[in-house]
Amino acid sequence: MPEEERTGALRDVRVLDLTDERAIYGAKLLADLGADVVRPEPPDGDPLRKRGPHADDAAAGTGSFWHAFFASSRRFFALDPTTESGGKQLRSLLDHAHIVLANTGAFAVEEARLGDAAARRQELVVVEVSSFGADGPWADYLAPDLVAGALGGAVATTGDVDTPPLKTFGELNFMVSGAYAAVAALAGLHCARRTGVGQRIHVPVHECIASALEHVFMWYWYEDRLGLAERPVLERRGSLHWSNAYQVMQGKTGAAMVTPIPELDGQLVWLLEHGLGEELLDPRYQLPEHRREFVDRLMETLRTWVASEDAEALFLEAQSRHLPYGHVKRLEEVAANPHLAARRWWATYPLEGERTVQGPGAPYHFSETPWRVGTHGDPGRDAEAILDEIGWESAR
Amino acid sequence: MRPLEGTRVLDFTHVLAGPYATRMLGDMGADVVKINTNTRAGPNAPGSPYYLMWNRNKRALALDLSHDEARTICRRLCGQADVVIDNFSVGVLDRWGVGYEAMREENSGVVYVQMSGMGSVGPWSDFVTYAPTIHALAGITHLTGVAGRNDIGIGFSYNDHQAGLHGAVAILAALEARRVTGRGQRVDLSQFEVGVNFVGPALLDYFANGRAARPAGNRLPYDEAAPHGCFPCTGAASEHAADERWVAIACMTDGQWERLRTVMGNPEWSSDPAFATAAGRLAAEAELEAHISAWTSALEATEVMERCQAAGVPAGVVQTGVDLVEHDPQLARSGFLRKIDDSHPTAGTTHADRLPIYFERTPCDGYERPREIGEDNAEVLKDWLGMGEEEVRAGEARGILA
Repeated sequence: MPEEERTGALRDVRVLDLTDERAIYGAKLLADLGADVVRPEPPDGDPLRKRGPHADDAAAGTGSFWHAFFASSRRFFALDPTTESGGKQLRSLLDHAHIVLANTGAFAVEEARLGDAAARRQELVVVEVSSFGADGPWADYLAPDLVAGALGGAVATTGDVDTPPLKTFGELNFMVSGAYAAVAALAGLHCARRTGVGQRIHVPVHECIASALEHVFMWYWYEDRLGLAERPVLERRGSLHWSNAYQVMQGKTGAAMVTPIPELDGQLVWLLEHGLGEELLDPRYQLPEHRREFVDRLMETLRTWVASEDAEALFLEAQSRHLPYGHVKRLEEVAANPHLAARRWWATYPLEGERTVQGPGAPYHFSETPWRVGTHGDPGRDAEAILDEIGWESAR
Repeated sequence: MRPLEGTRVLDFTHVLAGPYATRMLGDMGADVVKINTNTRAGPNAPGSPYYLMWNRNKRALALDLSHDEARTICRRLCGQADVVIDNFSVGVLDRWGVGYEAMREENSGVVYVQMSGMGSVGPWSDFVTYAPTIHALAGITHLTGVAGRNDIGIGFSYNDHQAGLHGAVAILAALEARRVTGRGQRVDLSQFEVGVNFVGPALLDYFANGRAARPAGNRLPYDEAAPHGCFPCTGAASEHAADERWVAIACMTDGQWERLRTVMGNPEWSSDPAFATAAGRLAAEAELEAHISAWTSALEATEVMERCQAAGVPAGVVQTGVDLVEHDPQLARSGFLRKIDDSHPTAGTTHADRLPIYFERTPCDGYERPREIGEDNAEVLKDWLGMGEEEVRAGEARGILA
């Protein structure tokens, strides 16, 4: 984003964004934190500007909300890296960056010759995000989010016995690899600031997804210690958590995510107030060997009880008792959330032209260096300023 | 040398989100000192499998903060820290006298990150959350599923990992700001706000157009791609869902569809002009998926994947934990999953899934086992505060360092 808009923690950091879907979220994290992130795109436009959803009134290929969100706070720059002038411009951008964030195979990455760039400027931090790593039998496999999630282990854990394995909504697998790319870039920068020496850093999407599966490896490695696992793999089973103690339950109206953890006694007292759960006071349930049976019985009792209650009222009452229930919200209810409104959380996202749209605000709030969403325009608007900054006038 | 060596992190986190953040920092060489007490139970008990997963590469200091003397030590530690992080409910550290306002008086450079469920202010700031709570409130549970169902959601605590990742990003960004200004700052991270972020494009669409997204199964919610789903393979009809075999196929372009047709042997049904475009294939999705399922059902998932990928069609086995550990050639090649050599005093053999970040000049290949409560008391207090071993042992005997 332009200098006057950059208030965030990374306002002295320049980033060249050569990412595609697999790491664009990482570039967004850096940009919204105030880094000056320049994103080159082909003369005929970034294909990601065609990703839906779109503004209703937009002609095909413009007005992408996907792009407005994931490519927020950037400056855009159209170039053709296969031409002499485009190649020189790309090299100038590389020479001005502290960090290059790239996906193997993405636009201009091959022409950028990242190895040469790193050799030319030893302080440069180059983060290269690939689907499976630089080598190995799957190195060249094509893996959009669904396939990446399948091979990475996320898809097998999601879904129910009567559904296929399911992907998460949107592109949540690539938001993990994107976040890892941002961590890699900032750790590399931290090291480079201290030592004067940058480096190339490799981030395989496949390993990022596998590293963020909560119970999956635990179930395999510590099956004998868990006391829950009868097999090294837990089957997909809807919302029922691996611990058996969290589950979405249908209420009279709506659905609630219900758990007695960590306040088992508090939950029991609440049930007793409603004349339920007397049998759970059986002293044998205090014994560790009956713990699993106790939790199963308790959850069964909760299912029966919740079915006669309004889910939202139950959620609010549970929270007043320090029980971490949730209420299953539809998107429109998320948009109307009173807590987010009270925190004045929503941000304004600029679109192409003069339009704006409301969207998610900061995932973190810095007391001294506020997060903000910056401009989002077309490549023509930013080109002149960027060319000036990289000394292109004199180069011409 | 690792990239974060020399960075001191005081870690008051528990369960998954916070420990995942500090695990990354520890993997990258930060000196992460995890504060724990003998009273910790459940997933926070140092021998529990859950604790073992998220607390490698940290040193363990026991502090019973109900003692004034322990709180004094804690304040001195805060004075030496580059980063202090907690994911308790809002106000817990303040009640111990080590909240941000108190600690910055003695250490103006400290970066203090509070990863609470709902953030430090607002009508829900006292709410207690775990990842399934956040998934439900953020719309992720409703949207991850199939039409007519609101009770599926993600099968693991996705948001905890992401809150950890965002916590690490916030810490590193604040350290960069400190490099410029010389001052630390407070970061208020709301795990709920992290979660709402994940349905970002759908929210923009809702605010602009009034269109509220609904569960899309394995479809892309907004873009035309078909087939785009999971298909049963040999063994799909197993008694246990965990034993079923599935393959994901995602034709993102018409060209990939044409190549899939070739892989399938150009069956007659596939030449129907209705299937020629993504829009046509989506309109007849049920029929399309039935045909493809009939083809995949007679084949091993690995064979489908290999044949598709060889032809340039995105496809992948729906891998389970067993697949990842025992059969995945990429993970085996990189040594992603490994045993930790040093046996844990009570848990025995422990394991690590390595940091998926490969630094060429400062590799992060060291993995130390999770520590027992107070196992590093003497070393930590000597390194950070210059305390002698005798003093430490006396504190242990009095129950202050326990």
